[in-house]
Amino acid sequence: MSPGEPHRGRAGPRRPTTVAALLAIVCLLLTGVATWAAARVDENTENRLLDVQTKQAATVLSTAIMLIQEPLSTALTVQKLSGPDGNATSFVNLMSAYVGKDKLFESASLWFRKDGELTRLAEVGGTSSAPPSDSTLTYLRQAFQSKSYTVRRVTAGSRSSIGYAMADPATGFVVYADRSIPADRRAPVDRDSAFAQLHYAIYLGPKASLPALSTTDVAPSTLPLRGTTSRMTVPFGDTVLTLVTSPRTHLGASLSRRLPVLLLLGGLLLTAIASSAGYQLTRRRQAVEAMYGQQRELSERLQRALLPRSNPAIPNMDIAAEYVAGAHGVDIGGDWYSIIGLEGDRFGFVVGDVSGRGIDAVATMARARFTIRAYLVDGHSPAEVLARCSRQFDIREDGHLTTAVVGVGNWRTGEVTISNAGHPAPLVLGSSGAHFVETHPGWPLGIGATTYESTSITMAPGATLFCFTDGLVERRGEDIDTGMRRLATTARGAAATSTEALVLGTVDGLRTEDASDDVAVLAMRWCGER
Amino acid sequence: MTEFVTSTEGQRATLTVSGDVDIATVDQLLGEARACLEGGADVCEIDLSGVTFMDSSGLGALVRIRNLAHDQSKQVLLTNIPARVSRLLEVTGLTDVFVSGSDR
Repeated sequence: MSPGEPHRGRAGPRRPTTVAALLAIVCLLLTGVATWAAARVDENTENRLLDVQTKQAATVLSTAIMLIQEPLSTALTVQKLSGPDGNATSFVNLMSAYVGKDKLFESASLWFRKDGELTRLAEVGGTSSAPPSDSTLTYLRQAFQSKSYTVRRVTAGSRSSIGYAMADPATGFVVYADRSIPADRRAPVDRDSAFAQLHYAIYLGPKASLPALSTTDVAPSTLPLRGTTSRMTVPFGDTVLTLVTSPRTHLGASLSRRLPVLLLLGGLLLTAIASSAGYQLTRRRQAVEAMYGQQRELSERLQRALLPRSNPAIPNMDIAAEYVAGAHGVDIGGDWYSIIGLEGDRFGFVVGDVSGRGIDAVATMARARFTIRAYLVDGHSPAEVLARCSRQFDIREDGHLTTAVVGVGNWRTGEVTISNAGHPAPLVLGSSGAHFVETHPGWPLGIGATTYESTSITMAPGATLFCFTDGLVERRGEDIDTGMRRLATTARGAAATSTEALVLGTVDGLRTEDASDDVAVLAMRWCGER
Repeated sequence: MTEFVTSTEGQRATLTVSGDVDIATVDQLLGEARACLEGGADVCEIDLSGVTFMDSSGLGALVRIRNLAHDQSKQVLLTNIPARVSRLLEVTGLTDVFVSGSDR
């Protein structure tokens, strides 16, 4: 990456609204699942409790049925003991206790069968003068076919009643009793009865249909019972009673009923809190990242401003350069290169490195770069330039050491003079191979005032002077000579290509992906007098 | 891991450094060396025998320590310099900065 390019293509952080929406969706899902589960648990509990209560109610109903059966069978037994010709006084005495207003039966009668003819022997509560209807006689005859008592429904106008008949084929006696059903079929329940917590509908027979309705505690027009219902049948003579129930109120613990609502409300509240917190946190993080990004951009812009946008064209010279930032985003380094066109046939060049990283390293680099440049433009020799600089830089003040190779070349003759302030020596790539220039390095800038030696070389036409910073050769765990040799080998392999390809080839070939140090490389090929 | 061990014997304090001396550890080295110089000893000997890696920041720190000592009319000696560091000092022209100050 060249310093001119800002970091691009980096996956940006999620937008706060996206984060808030995602959090909300997740929380709502969890809330929904929890609410649903709680509701299901409550529903199951309700069904179970309703079944239990319905069973209790059915037991009560069975007991009531036994109460009906009991007087009938007692009367039959008493009459049997009296014999076929016995009077019916005991029957009347016995049944009087059960017949009447608010009692078990409305009327009761005793019949005797002889030679297929039925004769009414006695009646309690009814009107004896009324002749028995044919349907009643048929019904009583049928009673001899049943092992237990038989049940029938009698409807006369608006009056509806249930009739019970019990016969003893051995003696020929039949006991009949009936009880009316309230016109609206309604029978409110006692608060402490088994039906207290239930709505119920009792049907005569196995079908829960309105015509079969016996009693209920609700308006018959609202039947059948809706919502959670339970159904149970109870044997009733030769038929059954069908009991259908639904809960009057919530049967289980009130918490169990409220739990789904509580979970829903709590979940919604948590959703609101989580998504708002997510929104705030993401926004804050974005703000911090934006700030960090601004800082990084500022550093990069500073460094970009300090590196040459384009190199001046030097006659007879083919020049390429590259700066590669280190891997640590904001910790920009202090490496640099310069090409300077000078008076006459001369040109100047510099490759330098300020130790350390960060904004102040870049500031020191800027100072070194422009100071050296100014002295070169003024016409000083490389050794003089460095000697003058050595008096102006002090590590005690700015905390940095600066190393640099400074050179002045003649583009007509290929002669180059180089002085070195503690920097890795440049490499010359020619037809005879690669060798490092013997530069006799002096102190890096920042130690104190000192002097520098000069080295002069004459480049053969086509030869390349290759300057670099230590980031290109330095690797942890090996000495610098190993890195220098590796550079010489790599550069020699790429020497036949253009200077651009040489620069890119060596940088790509030698730099590891995670290299933290930055690198500046400058390749200058003298093409000979053209 | 970079480790620093300080010992004092008469007028000579010895700071033994081992591990990597780079941008991540130079501040620690500077701090240890300052403590060494402020301890009253005239000579601060920095034993580099255990140094596995040194970069330009490390060299910078050594130079700063040397200059600090100069300001206090004290001496900094680098001892047991590993070949790699020695070569680095040579490449950067720093050999005489330190060796001239030593009594070897």
